[in-house]
Amino acid sequence: MIELNQVMSDKKAIFFLVAPGFLILISMIIFPIGMSIYYGFTDWGGIGEYNFIGFENFKEIIFNDKIFRISLINALLLTLATIFIQHPIAIFLAILITHCGRFEKILRTILFIPAIISIVVTAKLWASIYNPQYGLLNNVLETIGLGSLTQDWLGNPDLAIWAVILVTIWQGFGYAFLLYYAGLKGVPDELYEAAKIDGANYFQLYSKVVIPLLAPMARVAIILAVITCLKQMEVVYLMTNGGPGDSTQLLGNYLYQTAFSSAQYGYGNAISVLFVIVVLIVTVILNKFLDRDVGEF
Amino acid sequence: MENQVKIDPNITISQNKKKKPLSVGRVVLYIFMAFVGLLQLFPLLWLFDYSLLNSGQFFGDKIFQVPSPPQWENYVSAFTQGNVLPYFFNSVLVTFVSVALTAITSILLAYAFTRMKWKLSALFMNIILLGMMIPIHATLLPNFIIFNEVGFLNSYWALILPYTAFNIPVSMFIVTGFMQTIPRSIEEAAVIDGASIWRILFSIIFPITKPAIATISVVNFINCWNEFIMAYTFITMDKFKTLPFSIIQFVGQYSSNYGAQFAVMALIAIPSIIMYLIFTDEINKGLMAGSVKG
Repeated sequence: MIELNQVMSDKKAIFFLVAPGFLILISMIIFPIGMSIYYGFTDWGGIGEYNFIGFENFKEIIFNDKIFRISLINALLLTLATIFIQHPIAIFLAILITHCGRFEKILRTILFIPAIISIVVTAKLWASIYNPQYGLLNNVLETIGLGSLTQDWLGNPDLAIWAVILVTIWQGFGYAFLLYYAGLKGVPDELYEAAKIDGANYFQLYSKVVIPLLAPMARVAIILAVITCLKQMEVVYLMTNGGPGDSTQLLGNYLYQTAFSSAQYGYGNAISVLFVIVVLIVTVILNKFLDRDVGEF
Repeated sequence: MENQVKIDPNITISQNKKKKPLSVGRVVLYIFMAFVGLLQLFPLLWLFDYSLLNSGQFFGDKIFQVPSPPQWENYVSAFTQGNVLPYFFNSVLVTFVSVALTAITSILLAYAFTRMKWKLSALFMNIILLGMMIPIHATLLPNFIIFNEVGFLNSYWALILPYTAFNIPVSMFIVTGFMQTIPRSIEEAAVIDGASIWRILFSIIFPITKPAIATISVVNFINCWNEFIMAYTFITMDKFKTLPFSIIQFVGQYSSNYGAQFAVMALIAIPSIIMYLIFTDEINKGLMAGSVKG
């Protein structure tokens, strides 16, 4: 009689199960990164001959490339803004929504909608909102009597990055919100009841009992925020293309410009490789320091 | 006595649930939340509002304008001038093939990882985890070079293959999580009856895995439908461009036709919103699983 174990270690079957997905993944993600590493050591300009120049590109990027540094600083700024502005609002609204009874579901849906819209629409829509001629933002400021603040939001090197940050906070809000909401739903009802019996008011209930229990979910949300902010690119590419100056530059966008606008394939590939290394290091460090075992939900 | 004790809490609970007294606090909460919801949706409401205005009306200083009459022509121009229809078709084709291919390959991989016994299982799993961490943007240049070499640029494959690749890891994890909950006894019985591995997959595993397949498929639909930067990089010929292109193209060609530009944006956004409204729970579940793992 055939046994399950025997069937389940059939080499040929395993090959045909694994090969299709694995080959696509290798050829579209892993192999290209390998190629980037190879070309990162060259001075290739896109066409014709190229020379191997050792670590020149990498040295240049790490020690002399100001734009690379600005991109990293902007990613850090984006991350901090997400964690310290978006997340507290998300936690606050998630708590309020659990008290909204039959409106809970519709409110949840509304808050998440911006997150499922194409990034192209989001970016172009917000570019219109910031537009100095017909933009919504300036009109709103006029209406509420703050007309003196109106300006070309994306044209001001000091403000443009904040304009970009507002868009990413709006667009990514649904994710942070849903994570904290799921965390709240995981708090057992008995705890609320016990706290109430002990005479705790709402403020004590949340600050002493509920919010500390959100810590595991906060870890997940923070890791997600850091990685998403590092990988952020489309919003900047479509709204400012890194400008004015390089004030809104991000790694993905800088890489794109170097590769496709200036055709510096060698240098562009080196940036790609460093981009991957930065993301991998950050992911590994975060996972190490913030254990994110929250179980299934 | 015992009965009374048992019944009492039930009564109070059901009373609490049914008759929530509309206290002042609750009214304030509802008003506040309605305001928050409106604020969050306002950019989109503004988009739909302005997509029905004629371009001249854009320069008033009102925040919201009642379109009188609504300029439905904007949507007509979007369709006729913005190449929306062929791009729409390309988006549908690329999205559906990618979603199907991702579903099939992810189920096969998940089955291999949850049920099959092989030595390299852990190694392969780690490589897939690695693939999940690599940013899409880092693959744009090398993939452009490769596609250029093998003649993939300006073809549907230049989109379908990378879309599938980037969706496989999370999809596989979602299906894996689901498969782990399926009891093995069903397969044991099937094996005793002489069923082959493929027979087990097609007649037992696929039908049971349906909820997980639904989840990954709607999430991947949204991902592929909205994808922009790969399409923008690997496609230059009109024949293969997908829907998100139309707005870029439209802004370039008809830069003063604001109303129609807004109509194009609305046309790209609407399918995602409808998808989300129909499959809210699946999408939330899938995205959450994705963010916890990814």
